[in-house]
Amino acid sequence: MTAATRIIINEIKGYHNFLKFMIFLVVLSALATMVRFIFGLGVTTNLNDVYPWGLWISFDVVTAVPLAAGAFTLGAIVHCFHIKKLEPLVRPAIVTGFLGYSLVCVGLLLDLGQPQRAWHTMVYWNVHSPMFEVSMCIMAYTTVLFMEFLSPVCEKFGYHLPLRVLRWLEMPLVIGAAAISTLHQSSLGTFFLIAVDKLHALWYNPLLPLLFWMSAIFTGISIIILEATMVHRYLDQPDESELLEILAKILPWTLGAYLIVKLAATALLSHGPLYDRPSLLALFLAEIIIGVIIPMFMFMQKSYREDNRMQLRGASLVIAGVVLNRFNVSMFGMEQADQAIYYPSIIESLVTIGIIAAHVLFFVLLAKYFPIFEHHPETVDYTMPDRAFKTTAELGHTQAAASEAGH
Amino acid sequence: MSSTPIDFDKTKSFLIDTTKCTGCRGCQVACKQWNQLKAEKTVFFSGEGYQNPPLMSEYTFTRVKFKDYQKNGQNEFAFYKEMCMHCNEPACASVCPVGAFKKTPEGPVVYDADRCIGCRFCMIACPFGVPKYEWSKAFPLVRKCTGCYSRIKEGLQPACATACPTAITYGSRADMIKEAEKRLKNRPDRYYHAIYGKEEAGGTSVLYLTHQPLDELGFKPVTKRPLPSYTWQALRLVPGIFLTVGGGLSLLSWFTHRTERIRREEAFKNSKVQPETTEEENREDQP
Repeated sequence: MTAATRIIINEIKGYHNFLKFMIFLVVLSALATMVRFIFGLGVTTNLNDVYPWGLWISFDVVTAVPLAAGAFTLGAIVHCFHIKKLEPLVRPAIVTGFLGYSLVCVGLLLDLGQPQRAWHTMVYWNVHSPMFEVSMCIMAYTTVLFMEFLSPVCEKFGYHLPLRVLRWLEMPLVIGAAAISTLHQSSLGTFFLIAVDKLHALWYNPLLPLLFWMSAIFTGISIIILEATMVHRYLDQPDESELLEILAKILPWTLGAYLIVKLAATALLSHGPLYDRPSLLALFLAEIIIGVIIPMFMFMQKSYREDNRMQLRGASLVIAGVVLNRFNVSMFGMEQADQAIYYPSIIESLVTIGIIAAHVLFFVLLAKYFPIFEHHPETVDYTMPDRAFKTTAELGHTQAAASEAGH
Repeated sequence: MSSTPIDFDKTKSFLIDTTKCTGCRGCQVACKQWNQLKAEKTVFFSGEGYQNPPLMSEYTFTRVKFKDYQKNGQNEFAFYKEMCMHCNEPACASVCPVGAFKKTPEGPVVYDADRCIGCRFCMIACPFGVPKYEWSKAFPLVRKCTGCYSRIKEGLQPACATACPTAITYGSRADMIKEAEKRLKNRPDRYYHAIYGKEEAGGTSVLYLTHQPLDELGFKPVTKRPLPSYTWQALRLVPGIFLTVGGGLSLLSWFTHRTERIRREEAFKNSKVQPETTEEENREDQP
């Protein structure tokens, strides 16, 4: 055996071991899920009447949704703002988003007491409920992402007609995705506006929905940087750091705008004492300094923006900051001074770890079997023929074609 | 959320005069009996003070909190009957995605177990910490005080109000507020000068009179504004934001794609080829 073949064999072995480990984690979480449904929420989780929402809501829903925001952010940047150069990044972002949202749905169903009644939200409307709004949006947006995800699937199997329809729907889907995402990303913040006397003043202010939306945008961009870098490193895809540099240019602006709104809202619009709980103050400062201020200054430097590794570090800081922010709002900030501290049980942790593992696993498998990284120019023109939209007068090309299109 | 506006003055309300409460816990027993709630295995002194059970739960919709304090060198007790406040504008009803909670015109906030999906948002939203969850079950629902809606509809008083020998007065909200104010006026030294529930959370159908300051007895300081208004001020913008973002991005895309579109049209007009010919011929052949 030559050295070269040994290296290749080791690589394949490593890849297989990685897949096996991920499958193991997913299976483990599936078992944990079964335990939860057999023995009930009370026995298997550390939730109680004081802490009705724990890790599954804080991470699987409130944090996972902004982490899956890359698809709508990039879609709007590429298609609406028409920065076509970034197109190669779109498809992986859509796959990440689709997986993310599907797993949000899974997480939400596990957390419900009566998951078999989830369809009730579609029948018994309550427009006053942020939860209603978010669940409708998540269902709608998962459908949109599924349709966007159908493109690589149809390409893989060579279905031409659906591709034509999908290409035609591309812009409406992108715009719909941005509109729907704006609504539910912000409404996740609205969730906590009802916790008037529960959420600490460091996070409770009426602009919470706006802050959630703004942070979803820069999180989406950071996730794309993270994902593209990882894919380049571990899945042997081309280096996209030149494209990521364009995204990195957007980041300081969005981070800066967020910082201004956040500090203004905390200083001017919050009620109640801000400095009465040192541990919460530390969490608040950590979230702002690590997740916003440091990456903002990093991405303001041209040399950092151009450096592949610094891009990754900056993006990771932003992501860490957002995760901390969502936990602060949905968990730490909700804990009252005199109450016992909630920490997730083993079952809860296993399920959440399994959900993350499932995301990575499915992404790797989809990347392997479906054309999500191939950005060669298309050999077939899938655009709808122009005459399909034209009337006789406008066309003026051939009379035969015009009469065809007339009806 | 009900469609017809409710006249809150006419809703049935509890006036609970904690200075008259003897701590007999007849209300707790009556509540368990009427609602057929299971007994809880409890340990004395497992909660804050003498109260037992230590907390409200899926089996306990109301309970009397005991507060021991010293007065003139003597040990004294103060009592506080904890129960659902039946808010005029309930937070639980506004956040429930399936509208399982409803404020009835009679007064009680009732819960429809057949609709509930078990998301526990009501428990997050309730400023009084009233809705409790069936943690013991694999497919849990929410439990809380029903205000004995089934009894009220038949012209009876709630079980706890019926059982209480001293402290609970039951009647229309306007009458109860009038009565409470009369008591405050007649015996200013007996009462802490506040009616808890008159304005809390925008007004509730349970009103309390106390001797001690409210926070000492364990009453939660709660905003005076109806809670649903806090989320509604953001949610009411939803349709507008949807149209603004959707319309704005459509317009933007139209402009950004314009150059490309014009170029393509020009190229098509100027081209001598007729790319669609073959397809048209095929189509004309068809009937």
